[in-house]
Amino acid sequence: MSFGPAWYPVALSNGIDPGRSAGTRLFDQELCIWRDTEGVAHAWEDRCPHRGMRLSFGFVRGDKIACLYHGWQYDRQGQCRLIPAHPDLEVPATIRAARYSCQELLGMLWVYAEREAATPPVLALDARDVVPVRSLYIQCAPSAVMQALVERSKTIGAASATLLTLDADEQSVVAGLQPFGASKTALHLVLPAPVADRAARQHAVASWAEELRRRLEDEAEPAAERAAVHEAAL
Amino acid sequence: MTELTLHNYELDDQCYKVRLLLSALGCRYVKVDVDVHPGREQRSAPYRRLNPLGALPIITEGAFVLYGAEAILAFLARKYDSERTWLPDDPTTLGRVTQWLAFAGGDLNAASLARAHALLEVEADEDSVGRASRRAFRTMDDHMTRREFDGAHWFAAAIPTIADIALFPAIALSRDFGVDHDEYPALRRWMTRLRTIPGFVTMPGIPSYH
Repeated sequence: MSFGPAWYPVALSNGIDPGRSAGTRLFDQELCIWRDTEGVAHAWEDRCPHRGMRLSFGFVRGDKIACLYHGWQYDRQGQCRLIPAHPDLEVPATIRAARYSCQELLGMLWVYAEREAATPPVLALDARDVVPVRSLYIQCAPSAVMQALVERSKTIGAASATLLTLDADEQSVVAGLQPFGASKTALHLVLPAPVADRAARQHAVASWAEELRRRLEDEAEPAAERAAVHEAAL
Repeated sequence: MTELTLHNYELDDQCYKVRLLLSALGCRYVKVDVDVHPGREQRSAPYRRLNPLGALPIITEGAFVLYGAEAILAFLARKYDSERTWLPDDPTTLGRVTQWLAFAGGDLNAASLARAHALLEVEADEDSVGRASRRAFRTMDDHMTRREFDGAHWFAAAIPTIADIALFPAIALSRDFGVDHDEYPALRRWMTRLRTIPGFVTMPGIPSYH
């Protein structure tokens, strides 16, 4: 299974509060995801153009994000607007952070895997209201997680390569799959609304998810250990 | 010294727990700086008499001496918090607080060790303490994920307790030893809330801008 240029979920919408930032990863690309104080989500390369510091360590001020190191501030377009050490300087237009296309659908934050996607995500699933459950980070290859979901679910609908509806503990769950790296995967889990007895169902799906994570990691670990021994031998 | 005195090292995450609670309680105290790195003063004979384990934090108040961050938090909460919110009396909450205090001084101690190894040349198996730290952080994130399902925002009670204070430094400082907060969304939200506690103070490694 390969994961090419496409839209990928990188967080639950409630994982990034207004005015906050966080780091994440898509394949080998480090991303800074942040939400401005008006609630608009952004996904950028996680690198300040000044010294390469991770922008996700920075802090959000209104519609700008500032780097933790020297406070350089970038607007929504990625354009640097303020260099605190030179407050009177009109910042050159060439100082820009690299942006990715970012959309919110189904209670998840979606990012296109290459810069400047031309088309919005097409998710062949009604853009219904959802109830967030949790993001689950698994030390296991994305293809192995996908395979396990297919094997363990009685019914499975693939709306896209990275969006599935499946049974979790007798409940219909929507799962967005994020290839975090070669041996790490994130699953972003939501319940289609309306949900009766909301907290009880969230707990049930969380239990299912934690058990899935435990099994996948138990299976993945011996392989990783073998690889480590092999590396050591080389 | 008869006044409440904290034997302190600014870069020590265990001392930070105590400074954080003292600040939240609005307690006046004397701070004695100890040369932990590179002096290893906490292991000197005078300090061994206060704490045979040769570690900080230590508090003294007159002839009374107490060491170990979690014990000190419990003592301070009981003595100086007349509202009894930081260490509540009711058995279930007290039990839960104690459970997380034991976790903070137990499983989560791997994170202190990982950080001391990265910053202060303390010996440790980097891979194994790193793995154990991530396992402990995951346990905490799983717990807070479920707390949020139930509309709760703190580890052990409807309000912040000394359990929250004891658990905060390890994850807030985890970037010091290369563990980012990417995988812990519920802990990110909880850390944001913790910063709003009146009297919240930072330490080196915890930026104040947020």
